[in-house]
Amino acid sequence: MGGRVALVAGAAGGIGAAIVRELAGRGWRTAGLDLGPVPDADHAVGVDVSVPEQVHAAVRRIERELGPVEAALCAAGHYTIVPVSDIAWSDWTRMLRVHLGGVVNVCRAVTPGMVERRRGAVVAITSGLAIGGGEAEAHYTAAKGAVIGLVRSLAAELAPSGVRVNAVAPGPTDTSLLPSDSPWRRPSFLQTLPTARLTSPEEVALISAYLVEEATFCVGEILSPNAGAVI
Amino acid sequence: MTVALVTGAGGGLGTAVARRLAAGGHHVALNDRPDRDVTALARELGGIAAPADVADPVAVTAMVEDVEQRTGSHIAILVAAASHISCGTFGEHDLDDWWRVIDVDLGGAFACAQAVMPGMVERGGGRMVLVAAECGLTGEAGASACSAAKAGIVALTKSLGRELAPLGIAVNAVAPSVIDTPQLEARAQAAGVTAEELRARETARVPLGRIATPEEIAAAVAFLTDERLPTLVGQILLSNGGTLRSRA
Repeated sequence: MGGRVALVAGAAGGIGAAIVRELAGRGWRTAGLDLGPVPDADHAVGVDVSVPEQVHAAVRRIERELGPVEAALCAAGHYTIVPVSDIAWSDWTRMLRVHLGGVVNVCRAVTPGMVERRRGAVVAITSGLAIGGGEAEAHYTAAKGAVIGLVRSLAAELAPSGVRVNAVAPGPTDTSLLPSDSPWRRPSFLQTLPTARLTSPEEVALISAYLVEEATFCVGEILSPNAGAVI
Repeated sequence: MTVALVTGAGGGLGTAVARRLAAGGHHVALNDRPDRDVTALARELGGIAAPADVADPVAVTAMVEDVEQRTGSHIAILVAAASHISCGTFGEHDLDDWWRVIDVDLGGAFACAQAVMPGMVERGGGRMVLVAAECGLTGEAGASACSAAKAGIVALTKSLGRELAPLGIAVNAVAPSVIDTPQLEARAQAAGVTAEELRARETARVPLGRIATPEEIAAAVAFLTDERLPTLVGQILLSNGGTLRSRA
C-alpha cells in the first residue's frame, strides 16, 4: 500500500485520466474526483467540484482511506463555443464555478494539510486561450484566465510554507471536449500551428507530472504545451 | 545513444546539465572556451570535450563537424549555456567587454543553433534549449549587457520555436533567476559584496525562501529535451522560486 497520494479533479476527462495513468505509472496512489466513474484511479469519489462541501467531504474520505494528499491536480472542466452575445448568465456562472471554483475548492480542502506538513504541489490545468484569447468562448477564457491569477497568488502565498502551485495551459488538446466537427480539429486550423497538430493528453500529463515531481524551483509558473499556438 | 552538445559546460549550470544528460543516457559533447579545459569532466561522464569560442561562428562550425565525426552521429540535443559573466554600470562598462557578453550569450546561441541545425534536420528532428535569465525579462541595474543578451535569447527562442517546429526541432528556453554556482562569486565581487551577502539578499526576495541549485535548473533543461513533448515549442520556462510570476 506504499506510494504517495495524488488527487486528480476531473479524473474521468481526457486530460484528467491521462494524469491518473501517468502518476500511477510513477508509483503514486491516485484518487479521482469526477461527476462520473473514474475507472483508472485507486480511489474514486463522485463529486461536483463546484460544490465546496462535496469537495471537502471527498478529500476527508480520501485522506482517511489513502493518507495525506501530497499532490492535487485540477483538470475538471467543460468547454463550449458560443459568441459572447449568446452566453447566458447561467452558462457564465457555471463556467466560473466549475473551472475557477473547482481549483478554489480543491485548494481550500488540500492546502491546509500541505502547509502543515510543509510539503505539497498543486497543478491547475488552465488553457492557452487564457493567454492568447479566443474568438467565441469568452466565458471559458475568462474562467481560465482567472485560474492563472489565482495560481500566481496562491503560489506566492504558499511558497514560504514549502507548497508549490503551478499550472499547465494547453493548446487545443485531443480529448472529447473537442467533438469530431470542432473547428480546432480542422486541417485548415491545424496547418496554422508551427507543429501542425493537436496536443495530446499524454503530453499534458507528462508536463503535469514534471511540475509535481521535479520542478522544485517552479512557483507560479504556467507551462504552455500548445503546438506553438501561443508563443 | 543520442548526442547532446552542451556549451558553457565548464560553468556551474553547464556542468550540472552535462551530468544530468549523461545520467539520462546521452552521449555528451562538452563545449567551453579553449582555455577552460573540460576534458576531465568529459572523461568522467563518458563524453568528449569540444572546445571552441562560441562567439566565433567559424570555430563553432568546425567544432560541430568535429563532434559529429568523432561520435559518428548528428547532434540531437543542443543546450546553449555559454555565458560571459560581466556586470558594470552602463556608462562605465568597457564597450568591448559589453559586446563580448552579447556575442557569447546571444551570438553563441545563434551560431550553435545554426551549426547543429542541418544535422538535426537530417536525423529527423532535435531539441534546442537556450539559457535565458530573469534579467532578460525584468532588466537589472548594472547588468545591461546580460539583460540585453538574455532578452535577445527570449526572442530568438520564440522565432526559432516557430521556424524550426515544422522541421521537428523544438526550441525552448529556461529563464532562471540566481543559481548557487561558482559564478555567484563573480557577481558578488562586481556588486562589491561577499558571496554570502549576495546569497542572503537574493534569498530574501524569493517566495520559496532559497536560491536555485544548479541541479534543479538542469532538471528543467532536461525536461525540455524530452522527445515525448513535441508540443512544447517557443516557450520560456521560468524557474525562479516565485520571484517573477508572469508570462515571458
